[in-house]
Order: sequence, then C-alpha cells, then structure tokens
Amino acid sequence: MFQMFCRGILSSAVHSRKVSRGHLSWRLQSTCEAFPAGLADADTIFALSSGHGRCGVAVVRVSGPASATALKCMAGLKRNLPPPRTALLRSITDPKGKEVLDRGLVLWFPGPHSFTGEDSVELHIHGGTAVVTAVLQALGSMSGMRPAEAGEFTRRAFQAGKLDLTEVEGLADLIHAETEAQRRQALRQMSGELGQLYQNWSHRLKQCLAHVEAFIDFSEDELIEDGILSQVDTSVYSLLTEMDQHLKDQRKGERLRSGVQVVIAGATNAGKSSLLNTLCQRPAAIVSPVAGTTRDVVETALDIGGFPVLLSDTAGLRNSPDAIEREGVRRARERLDQADLTLVVVDCVELPRDPRQAAAHLKEHLNSVLPTREQRQADRCLVVLNKTDLLPEGERQQLDREVRQVSGLPPVCLISCHTTEGLQLFLTQLQSNLKTLCGNPQSDAPTLTQARHTASPPQYFCIGK
Amino acid sequence: MAASMKTFWTGAAAAAARVGAETLLVTQKISTIGALSCNPSLGGVGKGHLVKEIDALDGLCGRAGDWAGIHFSILNRKKGPAVWGPRAQLDRQYYREKIQSELLSTPRLTVREGSVEELLVAEPDPDVPGRHRITGIRLAHEAQPITASSVILTTGTFLSGALFVGQTTSPGGRIGDAPSSAGLSYTLKERLGLRVGRLRTGTPPRIVKDSIDFSQAKLHPPDAHPTPFSFLNKHVRCKPEEQLPCHLTYTTPGVERVVRESLHLNCHIRTNVLSPRYCPSIESRVIRFQGRTHRVWLEPEGLDSDLMYPQGLSMTMPPDVQLRLIREIPALHRAEIRTPGYGVQYDFVCPTQLSPALHVKSTQGLFLAGQINGTTGYEEAAAQGLWAGVNAARWALSLPPVALSRTESYIGVLIDDLVSRGVTEPYRMFTSRAEFRTSLRPDNADLRLSLKGFKEFGCVSCVRYHEAMRVRDALQDALAALGDISLSTYKWRQKLPDTKISENKNTVCSGLDILQYNDMSFENLASIFPECLSPYTEFSQRLKIEAVYKPHCDLQKREIERIQEEENTSLPPDMDYLSLPVSLSQEVREILDRVRPSTLGSALRLQGMTPAAVVVTLLTYAPHRGQKEGGRRNKLGPKDQGEEEVVRNAPLTQ
Repeated sequence: MFQMFCRGILSSAVHSRKVSRGHLSWRLQSTCEAFPAGLADADTIFALSSGHGRCGVAVVRVSGPASATALKCMAGLKRNLPPPRTALLRSITDPKGKEVLDRGLVLWFPGPHSFTGEDSVELHIHGGTAVVTAVLQALGSMSGMRPAEAGEFTRRAFQAGKLDLTEVEGLADLIHAETEAQRRQALRQMSGELGQLYQNWSHRLKQCLAHVEAFIDFSEDELIEDGILSQVDTSVYSLLTEMDQHLKDQRKGERLRSGVQVVIAGATNAGKSSLLNTLCQRPAAIVSPVAGTTRDVVETALDIGGFPVLLSDTAGLRNSPDAIEREGVRRARERLDQADLTLVVVDCVELPRDPRQAAAHLKEHLNSVLPTREQRQADRCLVVLNKTDLLPEGERQQLDREVRQVSGLPPVCLISCHTTEGLQLFLTQLQSNLKTLCGNPQSDAPTLTQARHTASPPQYFCIGK
Repeated sequence: MAASMKTFWTGAAAAAARVGAETLLVTQKISTIGALSCNPSLGGVGKGHLVKEIDALDGLCGRAGDWAGIHFSILNRKKGPAVWGPRAQLDRQYYREKIQSELLSTPRLTVREGSVEELLVAEPDPDVPGRHRITGIRLAHEAQPITASSVILTTGTFLSGALFVGQTTSPGGRIGDAPSSAGLSYTLKERLGLRVGRLRTGTPPRIVKDSIDFSQAKLHPPDAHPTPFSFLNKHVRCKPEEQLPCHLTYTTPGVERVVRESLHLNCHIRTNVLSPRYCPSIESRVIRFQGRTHRVWLEPEGLDSDLMYPQGLSMTMPPDVQLRLIREIPALHRAEIRTPGYGVQYDFVCPTQLSPALHVKSTQGLFLAGQINGTTGYEEAAAQGLWAGVNAARWALSLPPVALSRTESYIGVLIDDLVSRGVTEPYRMFTSRAEFRTSLRPDNADLRLSLKGFKEFGCVSCVRYHEAMRVRDALQDALAALGDISLSTYKWRQKLPDTKISENKNTVCSGLDILQYNDMSFENLASIFPECLSPYTEFSQRLKIEAVYKPHCDLQKREIERIQEEENTSLPPDMDYLSLPVSLSQEVREILDRVRPSTLGSALRLQGMTPAAVVVTLLTYAPHRGQKEGGRRNKLGPKDQGEEEVVRNAPLTQ
C-alpha cells in the first residue's frame, strides 16, 4: 500500500518539479538515477504454493525474468543452470548472509514451457514454518523480487495463454479464498497500535499527495502556498525514515499470533467457556451458571491434530444494559469478523422440541451470530449443540438425525462438555475443517506477510533533492 | 444522419460531417451557435490539454480560439511542461462568427432552426445490444418527423433548465433562451428509462467597462508572444501588442456581509442540488471559507466590447443586491451592471449508462455529449461533442465504434472517468486525473492523435495529417541525430564549459542526455553541431521537452502497454452478472451489473472490484467473446469449446 502511495506521489511530483524561477526553468533533475527498478509489471514474483500447516515438503514458486538469477544465487550454482525440468538436490542458501537455510530440490522451468509462460523456478524445501519463512525472506531480499499478489500467477499464466477451462473455475475459487483470508489478516493487523501507526502514515501520505496534486492542478497565481513542494519533500523523507526504522525494529511490539483463528461464539450461557476449557483440558476460562460471565475475549494457543490453533472464547451475544458487557459483545463481534473458523455453540435445551422447528431455529440463530454469507460457509463454521446430557436419549437421537438432513446448515455436532459425550466426533470434524483451511497456502501465513513487508525497501524517489 | 440538438457547442455536428455522414444540426437559434454562455475564455490547466487534443483531431475550438483570442497566456509555466495550461481570453463576437462561418461551410452539414420535441423510438435491432432504437426526431410545430440513424443530444444546461435570480425562477437554459422541450425530458426519463440527476451552475453579472476603476486593480498582462492553440497555426490573429490585459482584484469583508444579509432572498443557493466545486459562486465561497478574501479577475469580453466579465463573482441574489455587493470591491465602487448574474439548474443523464463511444447502452443510435453527461466547462463539452460526433457518424455509416484509451489522451481519461465511475458533482478536467500525464502533454497531442485520427477515426483532414507526419518524421530524425552525438563527459565539459556536467570521466553521454540538463537548450547544442542539428531548430522547444521527459516516459511505457492490453479485452455488454455460475460475491455482481464495464480495463478500475472477481470475469468470459482483433489469444474459451463439442458430436449421435 505504501509503495502505491509513494508511486502516486512521486509520479505526480516528478514532472512538476520546480527548480528555479524564470523562463524555461523546469526540468527533471537527475530523477533518472533515482528511478526504482520495475515500477511496472516486469517484477519477478514468488509465493509459497503448497499448503500451509504441517507438511513434509513445501513448494515455493518463482516466476519472472529474475528467476534464473534467483535460482543461481539461492542454489549456489555459479555458472550453468540445471537442465530444464529436472530435479536437482542442492543446499539452499541466503544470498546475502550466505548461511545454509535448507537442503532441497530445485527445478528450472525456462519460459515458455512453464505454468506462467515465463522463466520459473520451484524450490521444494522442508515444510517447517522457520524454513519457509527464511526462504521467502531471502527471496524478498533480492532486487527485482516481490511476493505475488492474490491471483498474480494465474493472471500471468492467462496472459501467456496457458490456462484451460477446467483450471479457471478452481483457480478463481482459490483466489477468492486467498483474498478473503488476506482481508481477515489485514483486519487483525489493523486493530491495535500497529493499525493506528499505519493509519497515521496513510493519512500523511494522502496529505502529501493532495498537496502535490493541488500544486500541478492550479496555476501559480491561485494562492497555492509557495514552498509547498519542499514541505511535501520533508514530510515524505520523515515518513521514509520512520518506515525504515519500523521495518528494522526486531522487537515486534505486537507480534502476529500464528495459527488458525478459531472463535467460539453464541448466546449467553450456551457453554462457550466450557467448550474452551474442554478443548484445552484446563480451566482457562471462568465458567458459571450466571449468564454473561465471560466479558472479555479469552485466548489460548492450542495444537489440534497437528495444526496450530489460536482459540478465542467470547462474551455471549445479547443486548445488555451493562456497559462492560456491551463492550465485551462489541469485542466478540470484532473477533468474529476476523475469524478463520467459528464454533457456534447452542444450548440444545433451548431448541424447540419439534426437531423440524429446531432446524429452522438453528438457521435463524446462525444468521444472527454470523451475518455474512462468507462467515457461514461450510468450511468456516461449525455448529456445536451443547448440553446433550440434559436431553432424554430418544430426543437426542431424533435431533441428531434431523439436523443432519437439513440442507443449508454447516456441519452440526452434538456434544456434552459436562460428560464429554460426542467430543471425539466433534474433534474429528474440527480437524477436517482445520485441514481444509490449512490446505490453502495463505489462509494464515504471517510469515508471508512479514516477507511482504520487509521484502524490498520502500520504493521512492527524492522529490526535491 | 445525425440530428444534433440545441447547443452552444457544435463540435459534434462538425465532427460527424467530417467523418463522412450527412449531418443535420438542429438548434433553437442559428445566431447563438458559438455563443459563449459564461466566461469569455478557453483553455487553462487540464482544459488547455483538451483544447490541444481536440485540435489534433481537427475539432474547431482550437482554431476558433486562435482567431478570437485577445489575451494569450500559458498558465503553470514555472512547472513542468506536462502541466502547462495554454489559455486565452476570447472576443465573444469573433468567436461566434468564426464558429458559424466554419460550420455553415462544412460539407455534408445542414443547419436549421427548431426545437426538438421528441425522439422517435422504435423496437431495437435484435442483432445489436439495446432495448430501444432511435429512428429520428420530431420538431415542435412540425408534423413531419426527421428520420436519422443516429442522434446526438447536446442539451447543455437546457434540459429541463431553470434560471434563478433572487427569489424568482423561470424556465430557461441561458438568459434569453428557452429550455429544451418537456417532451424531450419525458422521452429520456420515461420512454427510455434513463437515470437522470440534477446539477446547478451560475454566471456572474456583466459589468460596464467604463464604470470600473482599474487603478484599484492589479494589471495582468498577457504573454508577450502568444502561443496558438492549433497545431496548424504558427500565429494567432491578434497582434501581440494589440492584446488586452486582465485585471486582478479581491473581495472585501463587505462582500461577505452582503452575501450573508441576502441569503434569505436567494433561492438558488438554498436548493439541494450539486454545484461545481471548482467554479463556485461567491455565495458558496463565502459560506465555505469565511473571513477570507477571494480573487476576482476582470476579464475583457472583446476588442470592441464595452463589458467586462468578473470571473469569481458568479451570483444569484436579486439584481439590486448584486449591485450593492460588487460595489463593496474597491475597483468596482461605482460599477454599473449591464446584465445581472443568474443561476441555472438542469438535468443530466448519469453517464455510467453510456459506452466509451458516448452511445447510450440501452438505446441504439442515441449519443450524448456535454453537460448532459454531468460535466462542466466548454472544453469538456467540446471533447465529448467531437467524440460523440465521430462515433455517431460511424454508427450511421455502419462502421464499428472507436475508443480512445486513457493511456493516450485526456479525452480518453475524461470519457473513461465518466462512463466507468459516473459523476457526483459537475466533472472538470484536471491534470491529476491523468495517470500518464508525463506522456500526455499539450505539446505532443498531434503525434498522439492526428495520425490515428486520420487513419482510424476518419475525422482528420489530409492537410493536418501531412503536417503531423512531417512533424513526427522531423522529431524522430532530430532525436536520432541527438542520440548519435556521443562524446565522453570530458569532451562535453570542454565544449560546454558553462554547464555542470558530471565529473565522472569514464561516462559517455549522448546529445540527448546533455539536452536534459537544466540550462541546456536545443539551440545551444545546434550551435555546437550545426551540420547535424540546425535543420531542426524549428522544433527546439518540443525537442527539449521530449528529452526531459524521455526517461520517465520510457519507464511508464510498460505500464501503459499493460493497461492497453486490458482495455483491448472487451466484455460483452449483455453479460448476466447476477446469475453467472461462478463464485462472485453479491456485492461485486451488483457493481458489475450496474456499471456494465465495456472492457476489462474499466472493470478493473471500478471501486469495490476484488482480485477474484477480476479473475472470474477475465478468465471465464473475456476471452471467448467480443475480444478485439490483435488481443491476446487464449487456448480455448468455454463457449468456443462448448460449440466445438456440439459440432463434433452431432454426426456421432445420428
């Protein structure tokens, strides 16, 4: 985003440079030297293209004109590139620090015989987060390289005429998921102090842009203050310094918590905190029969079936006269909007006795907890009918049968946090959801975000120097 | 073919006739053709760019401006030449005469007086998208309709126009001229179902020149050497020394007091209609920015005119209050008003209902241009008039529509902004609206447009085409000659001791590199290398500008190519976005359905488009239909594949 802003400001400014007064006193002062490489589309892009989460092998894909250089630098190949489309076992090193990051397979796909039609490289490395992060950051540190945007590989492939119909639909869906995941991640990032900092930068950049545009759009006698460009110049420089320092700061003030964001939500007293405690096998949250016990968001990091999960318990959703509880509900809503997966907990005793009505009631309830269709997608939400121990055996089985037959509902699990009945089935379902989510390479990849942030130093030119 | 409408801008009709269509211009009064309703000036920052481009496409206003100009100046000269704003004060009389004589002598163009009562609407041609088809017009008080295969409406401020002075309101589009007929508004809104909005604008009182105390205002002389608008003109008609000056003065706290005291007598300013942000009335200025002084330009109305135009004093209060107000300004303390200022409110058609050819998407053969599309200003109207004229003529001649990209012209930027984003307030051109403004300069509009205008659009005359060819070849040769001069920096320093050339001894610099230096002019270089450079001194300034912008333009080239590629991928106009069987959010579907972008490029610029939506529309639907020749080829589009399947399977099933 910053780069876009900078580009905007700079391209506005470049041709309007005022150097000195008098006839024909304009010029573009030595901006040629300051032009960043690749304002346009010729960048080489890279991305983790295999699933996220725990996997044996991760595949990082690189595409674009600098692919060959990247391959040579990272795989320690001094002269020759490997034969096309042949796997080669190499040590993969950081081109800057020269330290060995991993040992893995490298493949070279010279264009046009590649997925994107451009020169491409694949690095098959070990699947741990640390290794993947290190490799992505190393790639990002090379000039002309940047992380791919959502759908960018696909667009390049399309431009080269490399896609056929069967691929189109699937890819569009994938990109949709990617952008949606990125939106949620951005939301997570934008809350808190970091968000304020970024908003402040964005505001100042817009101001600079407005000044530069006013400067070129209105003629000299229309009362645009003198020296407005040098003011902009000073502001952009100080912003640049601030951004540089921020990127270099190793103490991440608000570290992005890694893991799939799973949020427990529902009405008061449905047993949300009990579910949290059951899942983390310790009394992490206070539970009581009093409705509205949980006021703030309670967060726990867990490992469920090998997937990293950040589990949040939230306040029960209801209109409360209590100011503190209202704030709790607001936070719960905010957290829901950022969730990768929501567990909607419902007290099954509260459901209507007639199983058909119960299904309709569930649907309605789900809509009120998760207002957008995105949030209600089958792989992003799970309905947990709690307190089954309070239902007679017959009713419970009938309810179980009925909710399974209703279409348009996400998966429903009947459990009792009290007796742990149904817990195994629920865990199996939860794991299958996590697997789907983690199969998406970007559903939660803070490492990639970091790579995106620090990859290339902000591109800029000097307006006035 | 085309019947045009009552209009003060006639570029549409002239352009249509030049393209080769039999054209009829219908106007309420022939005598008001070319009448400048508001300020007597042409050009400015952004607007001057449009005038140069209109001229490059052989439009009239640049040449008429050179003929009628009485005060030429280039605004923004202290800034880069990409944002220079050529501007001139015009003699109203000269301008009107020039436009009328040009128009009345245009071959294939007939002009007649009349008021268009209604548009004749018929069932659409089923082979072309659209729900209606225009077959002609019917004039008021005439039984016999006029048939036409395409019609351009340029209603200016006349569509359901209403004039406001003080508390009185009267129908009209300009003082002394009736509004367009109610029947026309009815046809557009009810019969064709177009979404219509309302805008307002205003004009200042005209002041008797002799009653102004110029000693209390600041003299503002014109440029000593007037620069013509037209690429065909070497000089303007007015002699440099005969140009008239403008004067600058300022409002006082008294002006603000009068505005506040009279607000209750001012019904124009109180209504809730969007007004031009960049040409505000004195009332809006005072209300928005309290306690400041505002500039007032006193501009001549003509060589022989006894009137002055006070730019910045547009107002709608009762005439006696107007007089009290202007007399609060020292230079106008005993000024007399000839005609009072007034406000106009008028209908516009939401321009997202148009194609980039300015063709109403739902109505075959109907084109709109000017204020009816929500713009303000002569230049914006002229640019659209020209473009609608070209396309309406092509429609009449059964030729495919042509489009101008925002990567190659301000006209393209203007039209793309209108049709893909719509307007929320009267739209005015600015240099900041053009992303590629370093390439889209006033100085090179001929190279960008005249050649294409001749070969592809058919609106440019042979004379202009040959002149543009000559200029292009000369510039290319000159740039090549500059590039061929190659010396070490050491040698350059010896030849040019006064220029600070890099101390790095190992570098070799071309003449082109050296020309980029601040104090270096082409004449300087030509005096050192007379044998190879002196033939090109005619183009000194253009070469200097080319050299300075070259690195930046080279850099932007790839980006421009990418955008052009996207613009070459057209989207079918009848696509059913709401039920496309792909995963698209409802929000994006609604945006696409409402705007119906005609190319992938304009789809990408829509607010609220997501990368996924782009990929879906791009990959699923763009490639197989409507792709223009020369666009990218995809291996197979879904529909092509489907049809192929059917054909292949047919014999097998029998």
